[in-house]
Amino acid sequence: MKALGIAATGMQAQQTNVDVISNNIANANTTGFKSSRAAFQDLVYQTMQREGALTSEQGTARPTGIDVGLGVQAAGTVRLNTQGGLIATENQLDLAIDGRGYFSVNLPDGTQAYTRDGSFQLSAEGQIVTLQGFEVDPGITVPENTVNIEISENGTIMAYVEADPAPVELGRLNMATFTNEGGLKPLGDNLMIATTASGDPLAANPGDPGVGILRQGYLEGSNVNIIQQITDLISAQRAYEMNSKAIETADQMMSTANQIK
Amino acid sequence: MDNSSYVALSAATALRRDLDVTANNIANASTNGFKGERVVFESYLQDGATVEENTNFVIDKGSYLDESQGGISQTGNPLDIAIQGKGWFGYRTAEGQMTFGRDGRLAVDAQGNLVTMTGAQILDEGGQPLVLPPDAVGQVEIDPQGNISAPGAGNLARIGLFDLPDLQSYERLGGGMFIPPNGGEAELVPEVRSRVVQGAIESSNVQPIVEMTRMMSIQRAYEQAVKLIGTDDELRQQTIRRLGQIT
Repeated sequence: MKALGIAATGMQAQQTNVDVISNNIANANTTGFKSSRAAFQDLVYQTMQREGALTSEQGTARPTGIDVGLGVQAAGTVRLNTQGGLIATENQLDLAIDGRGYFSVNLPDGTQAYTRDGSFQLSAEGQIVTLQGFEVDPGITVPENTVNIEISENGTIMAYVEADPAPVELGRLNMATFTNEGGLKPLGDNLMIATTASGDPLAANPGDPGVGILRQGYLEGSNVNIIQQITDLISAQRAYEMNSKAIETADQMMSTANQIK
Repeated sequence: MDNSSYVALSAATALRRDLDVTANNIANASTNGFKGERVVFESYLQDGATVEENTNFVIDKGSYLDESQGGISQTGNPLDIAIQGKGWFGYRTAEGQMTFGRDGRLAVDAQGNLVTMTGAQILDEGGQPLVLPPDAVGQVEIDPQGNISAPGAGNLARIGLFDLPDLQSYERLGGGMFIPPNGGEAELVPEVRSRVVQGAIESSNVQPIVEMTRMMSIQRAYEQAVKLIGTDDELRQQTIRRLGQIT
C-alpha cells in the first residue's frame, strides 16, 4: 500500500509550506524583505498499465493506462519581487529604491552582496555603511562637520559642510540589477549574493532606464501581505490534516486486512 | 472451486490502488497546475460451465485525468501565468524532451530564457523556447492572448497554448508534465479559445471534500470485501465440520 508514503510526502510538503509562511509573517516588518512562496510539484508516476498497450490481436489499444502518482515535493521557494510600500522616516540616510535594482554592499571578505534595505548609517570614520557596518559601494566618506546630506533620485550624494552654502559632491551610489532576481541567494541580514542562477550583476546607477530611483528619507517596507499569509496558513493546516487522515485510512485498511482469519 | 473469496480479494486489491490514487490527489491538493486522477473499475467476466457459474471479478481497468479547470489565485508576480480554458503550455526539458503542462510559475534564468521552476523552457506558438532581452525582464506585460510585451521593446513573443485532444492517453511524468504515449510526437495545434491571466496561478483542481468522502467510501467498501472473505472462510469451516460429523 503506497498511500502511507504518498500521504507522508503531502505532510512534509505542508510542513515546508508552514515554515515559509511563518518566515514571511515573522519578517512582515523587515525593511526591504520580499515574501516567498513554497512551490510544489507532483512526484514521478508509476505506470501500472501502459497507455497504448495492445488489448487484442486485432490491434485495439488501451486508451488510458494506470498511472499511480507517488506524492508531492517542494520544488523550491519563489521570491515575490514586487515593490514594497515606502515608509517615511525623515532620516536623511534612509533610502528606498522605487523600482528595480539593488544596493551593492562590500562585505569585509572582499566579496559583494546586494540589498534592498537602505537604512544606512555613518561609521566612526564618516563612511556610509549598512546597519551591520558594511561599506556601501562605492565607499563614500562624508566630511566632518557636515550639516546636511542630500541624496538625489539618481543617487548623487551632496554634503553641506559647516556654513558653506554650496554643497560638496561626494559621489554617486552604485546599484546592480540581475537577469534573474529570483536566483539570488539570501544570506540573512537583508543581504543577498549572486549565484549562477541569478547571473552576474549588471552594474547600473539609480535612475538609469529600467532601474529604480532613490527616495531619501524613506524606507521600503516588506511586501508581505499579511491577510494572504494567514489564509495560506489556514489552508496549509487543513491540507496537513487531510494528509494525516489519508494515513489513518490506510492504517485502518491494513488493520482490517490483518483481521482476516 | 468456490470463487467468492477470490472475487472479494479482487475488489480489495482494486480498492487499495484506488486509495493510492486518492492519497496522491490529496497530497497534491496544493500543487499548482495539478490535475486529479480517477481510477476506472470494470468487471472481468470469467465464463463458467453454466451461466450460473459465471463469475465477475473486479479489475481496475485504467485511470483517467480530471481535466477540469483549477481555481485561479492571484499572486501579483508578473511572471506567474495561469490558463483559463482547455489549452496547455508546451515545455522543453533540460534533456530536450517536449512536454506539456499547465504550470505557469515562470522565472527567467541567467541567459534570459523563460523557464519553469525545474528549468524547463516554455515554448512559444511555434514550439521554440522563449527568450527575453535582459532589460525587458521585470516589466513584461502578458495579454490574454499570450503576447509578451515590454515598454519600449514592443511585442516580444507569444506564449504557445496548445490543444491536446488525446490527452487521456498521455503519460504523466511528474512535475506537472505530460508526454505523448510511446515516445510519439505531439502535433502543435493552437488552442485559440483559452486565455492567459498574468499575475495569477492555477490551483490544483483537486476538491478536498470529494477526495475525503471518496476515501471514506473506499475504506468501507474495503471492509466489506474483507468481511466477505471472512464470512466465506467461516462457511467453509462449517461445511468441513459438518461433513466430518457425517462420516
